[in-house]
Amino acid sequence: MASSDDNSQFMLATLQECGLKHKTLVFVLDEFDLFIQGKQRLLYALLDALQSISSQAVVIGVSCQLDVEKLLDKRVKSRFSHRFLLFLPPSKNDLLKLVEHALYLPIDSSIPQDYAVEYNAKLDAILEDRRFQEIIDSCWESYPTIRHLMKFLFHAVSSLNLDSGYLSFENFKAALPSMQRQPKMESLRDCSVLELYILVCMKRLEVKEQNSYNFSAVMKEYKSIYGSFHTPDYYGQNVCLRAFEHLLQCGLIGFTDDRGGHNQIIEFRPVKLLISLSELIYGLKSYNSCPALLLKLCA
Amino acid sequence: MVKIYTFCTSSIMVKEESLKAAKRITPSAYSAPTIEKNSAVKSKKTVDLCFPLLSDLVYGNPISLDALLSTFPGRRTQILELIQLLGPLNSPTLPLFVYGVPSTGKTSIILQLFRHLNRPFVYSSFRTCYNPRNLFESVLNLLLLHHRVAANGYSSTKRCDKPSDFVDFLRDALTSLIKRLKDDVKNSVSPQSVLPIDGYMIYLIFDHLELVREWGKSTSMLQFLFNLHDNLNIPEVGFIFISNLAPDMFCSNMTYVEQIPVYFPSYTEDDLRQILLRNQENQKLYSSFLNVVLRPFCRITRRLDELSPIFESLYMQYCKPIGDPSNVILSEDMKRRLYSNLMPHITSARNETFRVLDYAAPGTETSTKFEMKGCKRKLESSKKSDELDFHMSMSAKYLLISAFLASRNQATLDASLFDSSGGSDSRKRRRKTPDKVKAQQEISEDDLQTKGPGSFPLERLLAIFQCLASVAEGSSDEDGGSDDWLGIGGESAVVTSNILLQISSLSNVKFILKGGSCPLEGSVRYRCMVSEDLALKVARSLRFPLAKYIYRR
Repeated sequence: MASSDDNSQFMLATLQECGLKHKTLVFVLDEFDLFIQGKQRLLYALLDALQSISSQAVVIGVSCQLDVEKLLDKRVKSRFSHRFLLFLPPSKNDLLKLVEHALYLPIDSSIPQDYAVEYNAKLDAILEDRRFQEIIDSCWESYPTIRHLMKFLFHAVSSLNLDSGYLSFENFKAALPSMQRQPKMESLRDCSVLELYILVCMKRLEVKEQNSYNFSAVMKEYKSIYGSFHTPDYYGQNVCLRAFEHLLQCGLIGFTDDRGGHNQIIEFRPVKLLISLSELIYGLKSYNSCPALLLKLCA
Repeated sequence: MVKIYTFCTSSIMVKEESLKAAKRITPSAYSAPTIEKNSAVKSKKTVDLCFPLLSDLVYGNPISLDALLSTFPGRRTQILELIQLLGPLNSPTLPLFVYGVPSTGKTSIILQLFRHLNRPFVYSSFRTCYNPRNLFESVLNLLLLHHRVAANGYSSTKRCDKPSDFVDFLRDALTSLIKRLKDDVKNSVSPQSVLPIDGYMIYLIFDHLELVREWGKSTSMLQFLFNLHDNLNIPEVGFIFISNLAPDMFCSNMTYVEQIPVYFPSYTEDDLRQILLRNQENQKLYSSFLNVVLRPFCRITRRLDELSPIFESLYMQYCKPIGDPSNVILSEDMKRRLYSNLMPHITSARNETFRVLDYAAPGTETSTKFEMKGCKRKLESSKKSDELDFHMSMSAKYLLISAFLASRNQATLDASLFDSSGGSDSRKRRRKTPDKVKAQQEISEDDLQTKGPGSFPLERLLAIFQCLASVAEGSSDEDGGSDDWLGIGGESAVVTSNILLQISSLSNVKFILKGGSCPLEGSVRYRCMVSEDLALKVARSLRFPLAKYIYRR
């Protein structure tokens, strides 16, 4: 195992050799923002090594963070040439060309030619369709990355009807819901009625502008609701605590103290709701067999 | 790690079956070596564990699609979607992310699906691989068909700590394995030969992904795993991630290949009914039982792993009035009788839904308790729960009680509870406390409800402990006390190192937590995490009148 000193000596020696032989080295640092965490020793050593006369090298950093230059140390920044190449997301036309390129079957390959030609013709018809373009637009607008689009296209192609062997518009339409998932709604629909009660109690506490409350405050609110409305869903403390833990697990509620969390029991740590009131109401409405009392309490 | 051994047993079964099948079907490349190994297998079965075959990578005993669909009621859409996404044989796929609430059948469906498809896979779970090295080495062992046995000192093939090494080793292992599989596909002689493995794609399954979030350097591990598909750049490898949490909870700034999410919603009531009815001998009786209990308990929780133990015990109660469950005729009258018998148990079970059952004493329970009526049974069970069901030393018990009192009562109350000579005086307690102190004590009651147990410095704990120990010594002298006392407080003024060790062991079991340092002094304060019920139980086992010391408004 070499130390960092040995490594930097090795690199200097390599750079010198390459420089003497008139060969240029290109260093490509992908996910450049991860190199910037910590003390940036590697970056400094690398850029410092390039300062010597005999070295012919280029360092290219690739990152998806636009302001990555601001996070550089002063000494690293001074050795940086401040040249940026900004890659913009593709325009609508380029996007459609990309989709065509991804979906078309190559004519001159191992796939039988008639089938490929027929397939591409059918695909042309789909691509011309205005509804298809609307779907691509909505997919792009929600998350404008090529990877996301490719994921959508893969999903559509995987539902290809193996009997007919051709893509149809329905494949793309069927793949659209997987791009438009609402994870909090899914979690809400998975909750049991008791868990919904706890969520509504927490919402009421927040509406009363109690900024920090914990599980025992929620239990007090739950008991007061039982006192005023006499609901049939009244359970003991340990059952409610377990439902509370389920909600923590699926991420609908969370603790507000991240660091000091291990100093207190779970019943006394401050919590908060991680969904908004409108999401909660929407979730309650789409929950089948939701008790009417909960909707009344939320409104 | 458990999976290695199940693969092995299934491989032994596969070999035996292929031996029998070899006489009927033209021998493929796989049954040939097993005939030579026949004698070796029959004589020393343990030797097989050292020589795993390529066929260990599949589940073995493939099942048909109908069997798969009928095994998992209510999961038809998810299974068909997974089959679509995995695609026909040897089609590359993007990484899949399977998620859903616990006990929705994700792991079992994925494994049975691979059994149906008969494709090779490598399964690793973050429950058994608790640090990166474990994960890397277990995956490499499975891919390189290496078993950790006594012969090689239970060591892995390669020592792999760092993700960078893992990528290199993984690439080598995968390319050699895929090459082997491709050669086998090419060399299979006739189209009727039954290959143990279908295709040459290998799937890596990572289960319980949400546990990675609790690791120290969690984000880098997650990003590494999600990027593995890109880094390896081998189209014949598929990735499947299984988790309890939605992919949004794993967000990070880094770009990675998007996984395709497959959502497993939690079961509806009808699905639960179908699942619970399976494997029951008396379907009609059980379904009338479910008519009674399913709806109320589904309002508490819809998770199958929590409902099935409750239903088991309730079903035993339900069947009690019937002598012979197989001969019963379910009339309306009978149903009403069974229902009224079950009602009190349902109400008590509703509030004990999540209590961990005590499996130590089913024998005594069934013999003595089932003859009593419902309400009496509740009394008995509460009497049982009055006793402490774990062992603690005397000094630890006293320390725990002192810590509980220190957290529960305000510091200003100590003077009135414990007098200066070190003993407590119950007569003195009836002296009227000044109003200011009373007001503070009422505030502390409210605080207890909202903020939890208070914190105390170590000196206060030791002072209370010495008071209690001297009280106990006094009372034990009257009773003719035991020898245990010499260890604690024979010379009661001295705080021995044993006491401090006891404190540290109590904090290891999280009865006492360190934290909440006072900003003025900067000294460390402790908090007692024990509930009042447990403290009363501990005090009862010592015959110590704890209730007298707890301040109540």
